[in-house]
Amino acid sequence: MSGTVTGSLQAGPLGGLLESLPLSYPDAVVVVGTAVVGFVAGLLGPLAVLRQRSMFGDAMSHGTLAGVAVAFLLTGAKVPELLLLGAAISATLAAFAMIALERAGRLRSDAAIGVVLSVSLTLGIVLLTGISDSGNAQQSGLDEYLLGQTAGMVERDIVVALAGAGVAVAVVLLGFRLLRSATFDPGFTAVAGVRTWVVDAASTGLLALAVVLGVRTVGAILMVALLVAPVVTARQLTTRLAVLLPLSAVIGAVCGAVGGLVSGRAELPAGPVIVLLATALAVLSVVLAPRRGVIARARAGRLREERGRVAR
Amino acid sequence: MSPDDVMIIVIAGLLSTSCAVLGGFLVLRGQALLPDAVSHAVLPGIVLIFLLTGERASLWTVVGATAFGVLCVLGSDWLRRSGVVESDAALALVFPALFSLGILGISRFASGAHIDLDSAIYGDLTFAPLRTISLFGADVPRSLVITGIATVAVVALVVALWRPLQAASFDPAFAELAGLRGRLTGQVLLVAVAGLAVVAFDSVGAILVITFFVVPASTARLLTARLGSMLVVAAGCGWIASVAGHGVAVSLDTSIPGTIGLTSGALFALALVLAPRRGLLARWKART
Repeated sequence: MSGTVTGSLQAGPLGGLLESLPLSYPDAVVVVGTAVVGFVAGLLGPLAVLRQRSMFGDAMSHGTLAGVAVAFLLTGAKVPELLLLGAAISATLAAFAMIALERAGRLRSDAAIGVVLSVSLTLGIVLLTGISDSGNAQQSGLDEYLLGQTAGMVERDIVVALAGAGVAVAVVLLGFRLLRSATFDPGFTAVAGVRTWVVDAASTGLLALAVVLGVRTVGAILMVALLVAPVVTARQLTTRLAVLLPLSAVIGAVCGAVGGLVSGRAELPAGPVIVLLATALAVLSVVLAPRRGVIARARAGRLREERGRVAR
Repeated sequence: MSPDDVMIIVIAGLLSTSCAVLGGFLVLRGQALLPDAVSHAVLPGIVLIFLLTGERASLWTVVGATAFGVLCVLGSDWLRRSGVVESDAALALVFPALFSLGILGISRFASGAHIDLDSAIYGDLTFAPLRTISLFGADVPRSLVITGIATVAVVALVVALWRPLQAASFDPAFAELAGLRGRLTGQVLLVAVAGLAVVAFDSVGAILVITFFVVPASTARLLTARLGSMLVVAAGCGWIASVAGHGVAVSLDTSIPGTIGLTSGALFALALVLAPRRGLLARWKART
């Protein structure tokens, strides 16, 4: 296979890991890359979903477009790390704009998300239109951020994603207790003397990290599903946050790896395949989960009714 | 201004009027993100009709798209009512899945078949005056006819259902008790939103759908305290954004939907700071 040839040519720090997989080198890069991205999204998704901020991710991922465009305009070249930095900054700004609109502007969260989504998306479109009209030969491929692209993934992307994953795991482990109390009982946390805005800012930063890592792979439009679907699946299977976080991360990683592999083999875009896989798992778990599933609940309800009838 | 420019402004203005009227109710009901979800969820419907009939702009396209829009609304509503998933997570599960189906359909069966994802997302408002149909012997832009009909239909619907809509938006429990069929009204509203989102998607693209439904209505919410005046102000904001946004786009030679969206955002920012009673400045003054 040509895979081994390119492998020995391009092998970087992860060469050994990638070659140990029973896959051609390009396939291995995509599978490991999408798995890491899925892992980070699954691990950090609960920060949004459990606080009823699922659609935050949607506005943040659309917000990355403007940041990517500005970073490109400033540097004039497609340096992946700088584009990522721009995306991270604008996604964070979008998130803070939403929180500010909710708190200071007294908007309901759905309206705040809608306004920020609209402004950041149209700003991104105007900037990208300006770039594509400028005739800069480097610009081709910036739109990939809207729909995602795995074909151009290289080892450097995995290294960046792994670094992000390391940061995410470290912050979640260190701040777990704080995170737990802020998620389930913000009132108590505030009374207990913790500055809630610190927790808010930290979890927003982490979400921005997840969004930025994922947005190039699955695209701005589909990113929100990667944050939400694994959490919904995991939530059906456990009631403990300490189990939920790793479980949802593993589900995200598996969806990413399998989706990346299937899409490579079937020559389909990876983003939609990963998202459909994750959504299918989520719907299955909503219907079939042992205790919280729709069927289990209906059965429990019927059982209770029958017992009631017998007792009467 | 050329006649084409006027046509673009009129199409955008009409659409922003109907979106603002329905959007007002959505903002009050906390369902402001629904149109955005619907505008993405309709993609598989458009692709499916294309695969079946080979057309991508027929009446069937609208029917197929609306079917998937309604599917998105009902699917997320089912997930929410199952009590397992919060309403925001339900929406975030359903619409990306449907959009994924659409993209897979395009890349698998219809690649090279001119279903242009770019124009679907960015919108081709710019070219709307060029796509004409003949009506009573005259060539009229298709989007103008469709948005005109949609606007009349939406205004008629809201006038006809004024009482139940009003009651169901502010006090669902009262609406149900008073015999105003709150839940049914809500569902009629959602189906109307799905249909209008399809029309908007077809004429101005997905990016302006979320803008037109949410931003003018949120602006008006800051400026008024009565439902009727809120809807009128929202429609007015939509027209101002359409005219000003078009002007900016022409003078800077950039994307028209993009600048219309940014102008709406600018109007919202102005209202947020300066609104007489709910604005930041007024509230800051009241505190000191």
